[in-house]
Amino acid sequence: MTNTKSSSDMQTGYAARRKAINTLVYVILAIMVVIWIFPIVWLVIQSLRGEPGISTSYFFPKQWTFDNYIRLFVEYDDQGNALAWSEMRFPFAQWFINTLVIAIFSCIISTLFILMVSYALSRLRFKSRKTFLNLGLILGMFPGFMSMAATYNIMEILGLKQQLFALVIVYSAGAGLGYQVSKGFFDTIPRSLDEAAKIDGATRNQIFWQIILPLSKPIIVYTALTTFIGPWTDYIFVSYFMKDNQMNYTVACGLYSMLGNQTISDYFTTFCAGAVLIAIPITILFVIMQRYYVAGVTGGAVKG
Amino acid sequence: MDYLDYVQMTKGQRAAYKIKSFFTGIPGAIGNLFRIIAYYIKKFFVFVGTGIKNYAQRFAQGDIGTKLSFIIMGAGNVFHKQIGKGIIFLATEIAYFYFMAVFGMNYLSKLYSVGVQLDDAGTMADGVIGSQRAITTTNLLGVPTISNRDTLDNSNQVLLYSVLTMIITIAFFAVYIANTKSAFATQQTIKAGKKPIGFIAEMKTFLDERFHVTLLTLPVLLLMLFTVLPIIFTIFMAFTNYDKEHQPPGSLYRWVGFQNFADIFYSNPMKSETFGKILVWTLVWAVFATFTNYIFGIILALLINKKGIKAKGFWRTMFVVTAAVPQFVTLLLMRLLLGTNTGINGMLGTSFPFLDDFMWARVVVIIVNMWVGIPYTMLISSGLLMNIPEDLYESARIDGANAFQQFTKITFPYIFFVTTPYLITTFVGNINNFNVIFFLTGGGPSPSNYYQAGQTDLLVTWLYKLTVNSSDFNLASVIGILVFIICALGSLITFNMSKASKNEEEFS
Amino acid sequence: MASNSKRAVALVLTAMMAASALAGCGGSSSGSTASTGGGATTASTDTSTDASASADAVDLDSEEIQKQIKDAIAQEAEATGGKISMKLWCSGDDLQFEKTLIKEFKDKYADSRYEINIQATGAIGEDSAGGKIIESPKDGADVFNFADDQLSSLVEAKAVAKVADLFNANVIKNNTADSVEVCSKDGTPYAFPKTSDNGYFLYYDKTVFSEDDIASFDKMIAKAKENNKSVFYSLGNGWYNTAFFFTAGCTVEYKDGKQTATYNTPEGLSAAKAMCHLAESVDNGFVGTAGSSGENATVQQGFADGKFAAAVIGTWMGPAIKTAIGEDNVGAAKLPTVLMDGEEKQLHSFGGYKIIGVNAFSKYPTTAQALAYYLSTGDKENNTQLKRYETRGLIPTNNTALENEKVKDDPALKAIDAQRPYAHPQGSSVGGKYWASNIGGFGGEIVTAKGKISDSDLETKLKNLVTQMEG
Repeated sequence: MTNTKSSSDMQTGYAARRKAINTLVYVILAIMVVIWIFPIVWLVIQSLRGEPGISTSYFFPKQWTFDNYIRLFVEYDDQGNALAWSEMRFPFAQWFINTLVIAIFSCIISTLFILMVSYALSRLRFKSRKTFLNLGLILGMFPGFMSMAATYNIMEILGLKQQLFALVIVYSAGAGLGYQVSKGFFDTIPRSLDEAAKIDGATRNQIFWQIILPLSKPIIVYTALTTFIGPWTDYIFVSYFMKDNQMNYTVACGLYSMLGNQTISDYFTTFCAGAVLIAIPITILFVIMQRYYVAGVTGGAVKG
Repeated sequence: MDYLDYVQMTKGQRAAYKIKSFFTGIPGAIGNLFRIIAYYIKKFFVFVGTGIKNYAQRFAQGDIGTKLSFIIMGAGNVFHKQIGKGIIFLATEIAYFYFMAVFGMNYLSKLYSVGVQLDDAGTMADGVIGSQRAITTTNLLGVPTISNRDTLDNSNQVLLYSVLTMIITIAFFAVYIANTKSAFATQQTIKAGKKPIGFIAEMKTFLDERFHVTLLTLPVLLLMLFTVLPIIFTIFMAFTNYDKEHQPPGSLYRWVGFQNFADIFYSNPMKSETFGKILVWTLVWAVFATFTNYIFGIILALLINKKGIKAKGFWRTMFVVTAAVPQFVTLLLMRLLLGTNTGINGMLGTSFPFLDDFMWARVVVIIVNMWVGIPYTMLISSGLLMNIPEDLYESARIDGANAFQQFTKITFPYIFFVTTPYLITTFVGNINNFNVIFFLTGGGPSPSNYYQAGQTDLLVTWLYKLTVNSSDFNLASVIGILVFIICALGSLITFNMSKASKNEEEFS
Repeated sequence: MASNSKRAVALVLTAMMAASALAGCGGSSSGSTASTGGGATTASTDTSTDASASADAVDLDSEEIQKQIKDAIAQEAEATGGKISMKLWCSGDDLQFEKTLIKEFKDKYADSRYEINIQATGAIGEDSAGGKIIESPKDGADVFNFADDQLSSLVEAKAVAKVADLFNANVIKNNTADSVEVCSKDGTPYAFPKTSDNGYFLYYDKTVFSEDDIASFDKMIAKAKENNKSVFYSLGNGWYNTAFFFTAGCTVEYKDGKQTATYNTPEGLSAAKAMCHLAESVDNGFVGTAGSSGENATVQQGFADGKFAAAVIGTWMGPAIKTAIGEDNVGAAKLPTVLMDGEEKQLHSFGGYKIIGVNAFSKYPTTAQALAYYLSTGDKENNTQLKRYETRGLIPTNNTALENEKVKDDPALKAIDAQRPYAHPQGSSVGGKYWASNIGGFGGEIVTAKGKISDSDLETKLKNLVTQMEG
């Protein structure tokens, strides 16, 4: 096939075919979007359902209500008095605050650690650098929660058993291992910048803070957002570390506990309401950072 | 085959070649692994050998101060007028010996004690970690109390503190060697007629020449305490009988050598059969989960980015939104949506066993995983598609390539090349994909010939169940070690491969 | 002071024993029991064999005993500066109710010498409490509610405290003999009975079935099918499907930490084939598995959607079923018969109890036992089991509460009583390994295959099960 011929006939034929193809693409995309969005829509609808139970034999609820959302924050006792959070069966507001606090602290500490480690491994040359890189690689290959029983024992010894701070430590102490993506980024910054600064008499400390970091906004944003989102979605560590201490659960663990055999019938719609509430901010954050996400993953990948 | 043959292949052939060489590379990689291990063992001995030689040399050639520092740390530095540094070394030594005296030795000595368990008969048991006997007293009302509750040994504590002591000892040894080196180096400096570096000046190097030390110390320290220490501890567990029948402090556990490994490979039919089946499914799953997401993600990206398609941002955002909702939410929702009596079945009034029949369950987890993962691949490859230089397509069109040819000759090779490392990490990530399996099927359905597992369980979810549900900590630890070995092997194979095709640099 | 000197002697003795244990020469001293002669205070190695169940029941409400208990609590509180803080695990459904009991308990034992703080949580349910205590006794609750089948493993792990004679005598006096029996192991009492309804029976819709219909499963399924509804029995759950093996006459026994389950026999095969027979009606008037959402949710959902006309489940689902189909329409009865080896046989079941245990590692053993006793019995004015029945609908084990007219007339209680001759106690039948086997998955496979599994396949699967349970 060649496109050297250019009769008007062929032009219109080509355009028509192209239009047909595009229409087909639209149809495919529309079907896919429906498939992809369906569970999300179902989630929102369930969260507004007035009838209890885990499922209905119809799609749209017969009663629409915001009660499921209200129930996340307020619970009444037999006399009709509002219960304190600590007395509630599922203190969602407490979990939300817990998660927020953990997320903020572990975001700050982890981001700092990741930047420090990746900068050192990317732009500084020292004797044991290779060893560090290899060790990081090896440690990263152990399943993350394989040693959680041991970590729990350590927390117990440190007097942090079932404390929120233990989770901050768990999320940020291992952060040093997540250096690959930002190391990939630092690798792309031209070395000549450092050289020039060095000639001007800057120390490596000054280069790090005054030259490299200001250039690294995308990777800082990416790192901060991923480390901030982490605690919102982690279930394994929270459930193992907090055990029965419900007041120190995070949203993921707490919401999951609503789906226990005993409570799932009564609390499924409440679970959906809670899920919607945490999905909204995270979705917004993710949509904002998708640009950085792509840059982070592929940027790191290109350099290998 | 040499490089020339390789460049003469079409893109498709190259991809096929790569896939083929992945599998043919497996035996080579295993061989390589042993070679690498042997290399490092050799290197280690050379390191130790030269270390001892240099150590002896330093002692022989050292002056009084240096010689003294071999026993009293920091003496050499003080002798050579580096007071500050000397004091730090000395303080380390004192701290270490104090630590060992009041703490470390106590636990190390219990690591292999002929202990008395919490056992009425008071039987002696070999290799028990810790030793104890609970003493129950009854108070005035006849209520029994364990009166020595706070002083009972706990195998966990003994093992953990012992590992900590070992790590601290190794660290101390490193400081000790550094101390002798420092003493000797200062001696040499003085001998050469120069002034040894002052304390303040030396501290300043931590902001410049030794800035890496400043940057790495805290992260590495925490990594040692909260990652390395637990991993070593867990590896030790694989050699004990720490299971539901041996739960300290009630009942101590003991060393059993390689018994757990033997169990999982051959000696316990139930466990070894479960392991074999789960291993195969884990690999099948990882291959399918990785490539379905990859291929369909790229296709979706192509559709969205096709010329003439409007509202690209809208389409992209719709998919990104589904990826952004936390996985535990969407997956738990899917679990109910696909339940035999709930969700879709509830609405249609049917009872199709999406998750209760094992073949269907396996298909469904792969499909749901596509739902979860395709938006990610789409997002990444969308970014890449925009990066492909337009003139490549331009010249291809001039050469008369049609859309399909453009895809196979330009688009796919480009994306494949750039995303190979991503593909590898996804593959390893899928071997360890906890969320999809745990939240969607919980590993089920569980037939009668699986030990503590179901037919959609991966090694990691099995590990989790063994830890959390059945308290088989020893078995869980063995699985953890095996998962590590599998991941290491996989990475090694792909590493070898990417080294082999490193010459291919058309796109960089 | 007499009590002080006794304490001192006990202390010295304790110290000596600790020293000998630490010196590692405890090998020869075999569980000797030392007594200080006074009788009231004894120091003994762990499980003393004297059950002393024969001790006379002291009136716990008497002023003298109340004072003694308060003294003991005060003594325990000394170590933690007068503040006692304890944890209670109970079912999330009962949480609010148990909290009212806790309040009563605190008022009852209020004293200026100490302050009691009890945190109740529903995060660890009765089905998993025992396991969590064993996993890590020091993290566990001081007092915990659990199903009686977990008692054996708790005792083996030495994680549960022996019930003090003082309380035990009253427990024996106030509760049914069966319930007292399941709370002890080899003659030693380890727990306080709470409810007797940890078993299952048949709930059915009276508008669909007549008294005749509910005699056999086959009749019920046929009738349900006519009405376009289903009968629910969770074959995919070991707790429910073990009933078939009991019915077939298999030996299911848990003794001295050893599990016996003779499923690899012709009887076992008969049981499996009876399950297959039921499973043939799947989608045709029978639902055999709850899938991932669990029996409770499935039953609630099934009745609410009008899909289920009958279900084999326990009292805890009573309220939900009543809400779904109206209180007057709910019938409760013993289990129907099943077709086994060509004849209709009465289906057996598990009949269990929910009981209350005290953590052996509790810092406040006396307070904990007093609390457990209060939750299980109450006192003269407050019969806590009766209250629990009134508030939560749970069937009591307490003799006085069982005399209550309303309790006597409860249809669920009648159903349980009718099923009782065929109910097997959980604690002596099955242990941890039984549940760790894939007995539930076995039933699930039968349901998924709609009962179409060859005898030889069934035999292999049964053999696997036995290996898992007994191995």
